[in-house]
Order: sequence, then structure tokens, then C-alpha cells
Amino acid sequence: MIPLAHYLILSGILFSIGLAGVLIRKNIIVVFMCLEMMLTAANVALVAFSRAQGTAGVPVYDAQVLSLFITGIAAAEVAIGLALIVAMFRARRTVESTALNSLKD
Amino acid sequence: MFETSLCQILFCVLAALAILCAIGVVAYRNPVNSAMCMAVCFAMVAAIFFGMGAQFLGIVQLIVYAGAILVLFLFVVMMLDIHDEGHSKSIRWHSCVGVFIAGITAGLIFNVAISLPGATDTPCPVKTLCASAGELLIGDARQVSAEPTACTQYGGALPELNAAAAASMENPSISAEEAAKATSISDVKLIGKCLYTHYNIPFVILGFALLSGTVGAVALARKIRKD
Repeated sequence: MIPLAHYLILSGILFSIGLAGVLIRKNIIVVFMCLEMMLTAANVALVAFSRAQGTAGVPVYDAQVLSLFITGIAAAEVAIGLALIVAMFRARRTVESTALNSLKD
Repeated sequence: MFETSLCQILFCVLAALAILCAIGVVAYRNPVNSAMCMAVCFAMVAAIFFGMGAQFLGIVQLIVYAGAILVLFLFVVMMLDIHDEGHSKSIRWHSCVGVFIAGITAGLIFNVAISLPGATDTPCPVKTLCASAGELLIGDARQVSAEPTACTQYGGALPELNAAAAASMENPSISAEEAAKATSISDVKLIGKCLYTHYNIPFVILGFALLSGTVGAVALARKIRKD
């Protein structure tokens, strides 16, 4: 079977790519996609740990339930976030994060 | 042994595709391309979930992420008229800093994963597959490196799923012989049992969060009349 370390490395790489996207990109929609990717990376790590911690070949299902919660909360978060982006586009006609500087001026 | 290394190669291919598509999400200028890359990335992650024996979560990943969330993203991208980001020096500088920070994070996680006990015990999958394929074809009785010992070491190979143990956990009243007849784990039943007993209250709260999310999204995105 595949060792736990491989899953953790995959999850770490996905997380880092998401982090890079959040830091680099200016388009808020893409930043949001990268946030979703980071949540997915956390899910991969959770499921891998649920297998590794299991006793007698039965995974620990608490971790999978937690991962299910993450998915559900992510869905709610996406709905709210995209609504905010639509509202922002209505107000400013742009979705660049650099346009949000009215407190500075 | 043959099957084991096939599993490993499949995992490597899926993981590589997932990482490639994840890079595509960040690298593409056009948000529609990014969204499509994200769909493929999430589908690959769902396949990895299937490989880990978490069928229910794989299905949920496909339906919720690749289905619902992606459609929402595409809908918003196409509804708003978005221009590509321009090139400039500050963007390049930004990307250098971002990649540097992300690289440090990846290195930290890699270090933690590799230093788990037993993490480096598994032999290279390609080598194992070649060895076992040669054994099948030629009939060579050469000893392939020993099967990694079942999870005495935490970071090593994940323990095999045990359907009989799961069946007796699912329904404690059945006898051991009946439990031994079980061929696969029905993880929907076990997750459901966990979800509706230990995590009942959080589950209800999740439902409220989803409801308020829907209402809030409608309230935020509606057109505000100026009268």
C-alpha cells in the first residue's frame, strides 16, 4: 500500500500551490479557487490520517466526518464569497484585489 | 505484490495530474481555464479518495466540488465581464515572493512527512513493478524486496482495510463467522452512524450554516433599488 508520507506530501504540495495562488493572483475569483484548493488539501490529509490511525483495519470515521463538514462549510462559504464578489463588481466594475484601496485614499 | 505496485503507480499518476492541474489554476490568465483546471484537479483528488477506500467522500468531493462549486464559479466568471490581468514588473516581483513563501511551506510539510517513523521504508514503486513483472514473465524466482511490514510504523504503508472487523463494528450482534463473510466495507453506513450519533448537533448547525449561506448570498447579490 501507499505510505502515509506520500499522501501528506501530496497534500502539502496542493496546499502550497493554493497558498502561492492566494499570494500571487490579483483576480479575486482565482484567489477564491485557490482557497478551495487549500481546503481540499486539508481533506486529503484528514482522510489519510483516518486510514493510518485506524485499529484492526477499520478507519477512524471521525476524521471522515470532519472532512465532510469541511466540504459542507466550503460550499456555504463559496456561495457567500461569490455573492460578495458580485456585489463588489457592481460597486467598482472590477474584481482586482488591488482596486480595494478606498481606506488608503 | 504486483497489485501493490500498480496501486502505487496509479497514485503517482493521479497525484501528478492533480498537481499539474493545480499549477494550471494559478498559472492560467483566463479564469475560465483556471476553473476547468480546478475541476480536473478535484476529480483527481476524488479518485485518490477512492483509492484510499473513502468512497463516500470521493463521491461527495465529485458532487459538491466538481459539480456544485465549479458551476457556481463558472456562472460568476461568465456573468461578470472580467479582463485579463496585465503584465507588469510588480506582478513578476509579487510572483517571486509568493512562490518563495509557498516553497518554504511545501518544504516544511515535506520535512515533517518524511521524518515520520517508517516513511522511507516503502521501495520505489517502479522498481517493484518491474521486478514483479519480470517474475511473472520469466518465472524467475528471484526474491523481491520484502513486503513492507503492516503498520507497525506510523508513517509507513497504510494498514489494509479489514471488511470483517468493519462489519462487526457496524452491527455488533452478528457472529464472527457472519462478519467474516463481508467482502467490502460499507463506509456510508459507518460514516452515517458516526454523523448521526456523536456529531448530531454539529451536523444540524452545518445545516443552519448552509441555510444562512443561501439566504445571505441572495441578500448580498440582489440588485439594490435606489428609492
